[in-house]
Amino acid sequence: MEFNQIIEALVACAGGDCGNLSSILDLLANAVVAGLLLGGFYAAVTIGVTISFGMLDIVNIAHPAFIMLGSFVAYFVNQTFGVDPVVIGVVFTPAFFLLGMAIYRIYYNSFEKRGQESIRGLAFFFGVLFIGEVALILTFGVDYRSVDAAYIGTSVNLGVVGLPMRLFVPFVVSMTMMVLLELFLGRTFFGRAIKAVSQDRLALQLMAANPARIKELAFGLSIATASVAGSLLIIIGPVEPSIGRDYIGRVFAICVLGGMSSVPGTVIAAIIIGIAESFTATFYGPSWSPAIAFGLLLLVLAVRPAGLLGR
Amino acid sequence: MRRSSLPFLIGIAVVAFLGIAATRLLGNQYYYFAAYVVLQYVVLATGWNILGGYTGYVNFGVAGFFAIGAYTSVVLIKLLGAPMPVLILAGGIVAGLVGLGTGYLTLRLKGVFFSIATLALAIVLQTFVTNWDYVGGSRGVYTIRPREVPFFDNYVEYLFIVMLLLALGAVAAAWLIERSWIGRGLAAIRDDEQAAEAMGVPTLRLKLFATTVSGFMMGIAGAPYPYYVTYLDPASGFSLAYAVNSVAMPLIGGTTSAVLLGTLQQVATVTISSALNLLIVGVNLVMFVTVAPEGILGLAREFAEGRPGRRAAIAAMILGILAGDTGIAITGAAGAGLLQLLGIAIPLLTIVGGGLALVRPGIGGLMMLASAAATAAVFGLDVLTAIPIAIGAIGGALAYLARYRITASAGYEALRRA
Repeated sequence: MEFNQIIEALVACAGGDCGNLSSILDLLANAVVAGLLLGGFYAAVTIGVTISFGMLDIVNIAHPAFIMLGSFVAYFVNQTFGVDPVVIGVVFTPAFFLLGMAIYRIYYNSFEKRGQESIRGLAFFFGVLFIGEVALILTFGVDYRSVDAAYIGTSVNLGVVGLPMRLFVPFVVSMTMMVLLELFLGRTFFGRAIKAVSQDRLALQLMAANPARIKELAFGLSIATASVAGSLLIIIGPVEPSIGRDYIGRVFAICVLGGMSSVPGTVIAAIIIGIAESFTATFYGPSWSPAIAFGLLLLVLAVRPAGLLGR
Repeated sequence: MRRSSLPFLIGIAVVAFLGIAATRLLGNQYYYFAAYVVLQYVVLATGWNILGGYTGYVNFGVAGFFAIGAYTSVVLIKLLGAPMPVLILAGGIVAGLVGLGTGYLTLRLKGVFFSIATLALAIVLQTFVTNWDYVGGSRGVYTIRPREVPFFDNYVEYLFIVMLLLALGAVAAAWLIERSWIGRGLAAIRDDEQAAEAMGVPTLRLKLFATTVSGFMMGIAGAPYPYYVTYLDPASGFSLAYAVNSVAMPLIGGTTSAVLLGTLQQVATVTISSALNLLIVGVNLVMFVTVAPEGILGLAREFAEGRPGRRAAIAAMILGILAGDTGIAITGAAGAGLLQLLGIAIPLLTIVGGGLALVRPGIGGLMMLASAAATAAVFGLDVLTAIPIAIGAIGGALAYLARYRITASAGYEALRRA
């Protein structure tokens, strides 16, 4: 589908034959819905980075590797015990939480305490990204893997718009997670403490709270979201270890576009990118969609680095 | 030219001469083939170091810049049949301009945005190339080498010499930059950008200069690549191995000037399977940035300074890493499935033990001893497995026996730092 076809259809409609145009409009409506659902899922992928990078100032470029780990945990448990992938994603969050805390402990002792987080901290996460990917390749191979669940493959039709369940279920789960996180960060003592760390570390110390301890728990939380996001990823489509890389640009683009540390901002930015990618995939071909996130990222960094909802 | 640069330039000339002389003496093609890869990494890592080491800005898009050089060559070969010097120059210029553009858009912000942008840049360039049919798209493209080159018996030797000259040129350029006012300006940016700005260092211009030169070097490293592989597809042109190796080598070798040292590690891993090779590099990278931030050179310096406890700790760590690396290479390549996982996990334990030897020598030493025993138990004791077992056991014993002295020396270290 190219733009000149759309123009042709418009001209034909002006001439009285609107058949082509209405089929294009159907396509458009489907692209919007698919993009919305995809964007909702991107929010789940990004929220961990929003917490670690946006709030804690830890540039965790290895986050996609943890998401892949979540996907393969979901794959393994699903294939062995037949448990629903969403349930697996939720059940494994405590394990991911502990993993995140352990990683932050190493990060804190090796880099943050010495004030060397910039280069070496980045290189550390870069190494972790590689170790994660290679470990998954060595364990599971480079074949695409997928999970089984009753709703995968079915879809509900609402008029001309098809609602594929493999996108709709992740969307609902992701949005639930966003609401819970927003409530947690805004309403609970602990959530407010995390926000406080991101705003003024010193003030928090003066209030007799330990920023390192709070960051440790918050980083655990950010990795815990990767468990859920990973199980959603493998519901949407088959997964192999290196596709995590495709998410690096996307995730950081969404995080920056959403204003770095805001949950609603992340959701809005994720949906914008989801719809933009879905349009590109529909009208130009899916092989172009990775370029979208990067283009938007550069644009945002050049024009408005504070993001959409930034101050 | 100052007097101190004379020995350096003589050294460069000697290496170049030795390389050319070698092509007259050594017949085995494989050496040139392997040496080319090592030299290519020297160019890449030197380029990375100009920005990452001197300035403190991390470029993760090495693969992208490398591929720009390679694909610029493909286009020029197809369009004009351009000769090698033109390819190299063009590849370098295009990659330099891309570096300049990325830097211009992101370097005014915090450094991490530049890193993220470069990481994403590699992926987006790969998308473009995959969709660009003229350069083969996702199917890849064949490049036919010229049948003859003057002065050389065959094309691989010619490519080797080309890459050798590029590597020496890159090292010389980096050396000159490091010692000029530009290098001092870059170092000032790395240490404290705001202070540098306040002292009148033109920070943005210097950063853009470093990004451009860095991109240029990565581009020239990629330019001869189509002729080297003769079949280039996006997966090999954009392999993230370039990025991880180019980041790891300067950081393991000691950031400021020891890119060459990193090649030793490259020589050691160039012959092992690609996934395992990446794993080794990744693990070493994490290990070094975590426990030995000054890299091998820093460790050597401390070793030379020589308090007994510190020496034992460093020796134990190096032995642990050696045992782990050779262990992965030997036991990791044996068998499949669970056996392979064990063959990788046990040496990993040795490496972690080696790292721990610097701070918690008792636990680290026991870990190294345990994994040496585990290697013997799982894989048996033969000529090959004896290497990691022996090295690991010596390192483990050393760390365990010297644990009080090491801890005392670590305590002293902490006191001095405080």
